Amino acid sequence: MAPVLSYSEEELVLLLKQQSQDAFNYLYKNYAGGLYGIVRKVITDEQTAQDVLQDVFVKVWNNIGQYNTEKGRIYTWMINIARNAAIDKLRSKGEIMKSKIHTGEDAVYNVQKGMKTEQSTDTIGLKEAVGELKPEQQTIVSLAYFKGFTLDEIAKTLDIPLGTVKTRMRAAMQALRTYYNSN
Amino acid sequence: MSEVNIKEYIESGILEAYVLGALTEGERASVEADMVMYPELAKEVAAIEAAMESFAQANAEQPPAHMQQQIWNAIQQQTVQSAPDVQSTEQSTPQAKVIALPQPAQRPAWQRAAVWAAIVVSVVTNFMLLSQRNKSKEEIAALSSQMDSLKTSQQEVLAQYKKGRDMLADTAMKTVVMRSVQQGKDMTGMVFWSKTTGESYLAIHNMPMPEKGKQYQLWVIQDGKPVSMGVIDNNLVANAGSMYKVPIQIKAGQAFAISLEKEGGNPTPTEVCVVGAI
Repeated sequence: MAPVLSYSEEELVLLLKQQSQDAFNYLYKNYAGGLYGIVRKVITDEQTAQDVLQDVFVKVWNNIGQYNTEKGRIYTWMINIARNAAIDKLRSKGEIMKSKIHTGEDAVYNVQKGMKTEQSTDTIGLKEAVGELKPEQQTIVSLAYFKGFTLDEIAKTLDIPLGTVKTRMRAAMQALRTYYNSN
Repeated sequence: MSEVNIKEYIESGILEAYVLGALTEGERASVEADMVMYPELAKEVAAIEAAMESFAQANAEQPPAHMQQQIWNAIQQQTVQSAPDVQSTEQSTPQAKVIALPQPAQRPAWQRAAVWAAIVVSVVTNFMLLSQRNKSKEEIAALSSQMDSLKTSQQEVLAQYKKGRDMLADTAMKTVVMRSVQQGKDMTGMVFWSKTTGESYLAIHNMPMPEKGKQYQLWVIQDGKPVSMGVIDNNLVANAGSMYKVPIQIKAGQAFAISLEKEGGNPTPTEVCVVGAI
């Protein structure tokens, strides 16, 4: 693969709006890994995750015309498309219903078990980053970000007050921010 | 909201919930409205988002290699279906390009004879080999796989050749030599630019490797203003003379330039190295 020129966020938007194959190749080379990583956190089945990744790129491609910098950072915009597509797929398969029907204890147990399996197979980066989070923070971030639970659903599932959910989220994100700023 | 209220708002954790996607439609809309009103909130959200972007990068997982082509094909297919007028030839897949190579309408008789002779020889040779020695089957299999790989590399060379030929044949393609503007330093770079397609190619000649923490950046000067064409990977500097296609398309300009900037580039050039007027 030939080396490429690199672009800032604003330049990337201009590049994508040209809709050329070069623009696509740049997008894929720089963002496919990050987006696929997010999708795989939600959907473990590789084939399904690959289908979702394809839908994500098609969506990014088709909607770049409507994107403007007021909608926030472009990578976050793409990550959210990936997360939403993956969670939609998870719901359509009825898998999330299973975990929602479980009692609070079961759900926590499953989530923690899930995170442990991930930790054992994932890169050092994740181990380090998530290791910074306390188990109860990990559970909340994972339920929201990778399972699509709302604050209310998390509070009910874990049987803790809504305010506690929010303060734990705040503490978790503060820890991640400190971690990534110092690394 | 007073300053104190904003602090409380931020510390409540609702902005984290917003970024993590844990809000209902209504709550989302209300946070977004607050962000427009109070830039401090937008700034905080951007910082949380940046952390999640770092998280995504740290947990990146490369999809299988075939996905890149597969997804591009899917994008092309839906483009063709929804808008048949889109320049489908220009954006067709590499395989399609090879198939679309112009074929001579009618081969001369001697060529066809030569082809037939080659086929006959091949068939006869195969027959002899097969009948004479069973174990030569393996050799044939090896040869055929070799031929396949030759065919593939030939197709690649052909596609590359066609690209180069198209580039040279494009009379609108301009060669712009960028020369050093720093006294005593002998540096050159070249840009090949087609005004009609907006495509450009960059080649670096004898430019020193930037020191650590610095990178070269390519610019086009449009109406006296420098517009960034991207930050140049140091591999390009190391491979002097090699030509690389610039992903971004440029429709107008009076000059190209390369400057030395901090890693990741700058919005405007600080230390210009080479300049070439179009």
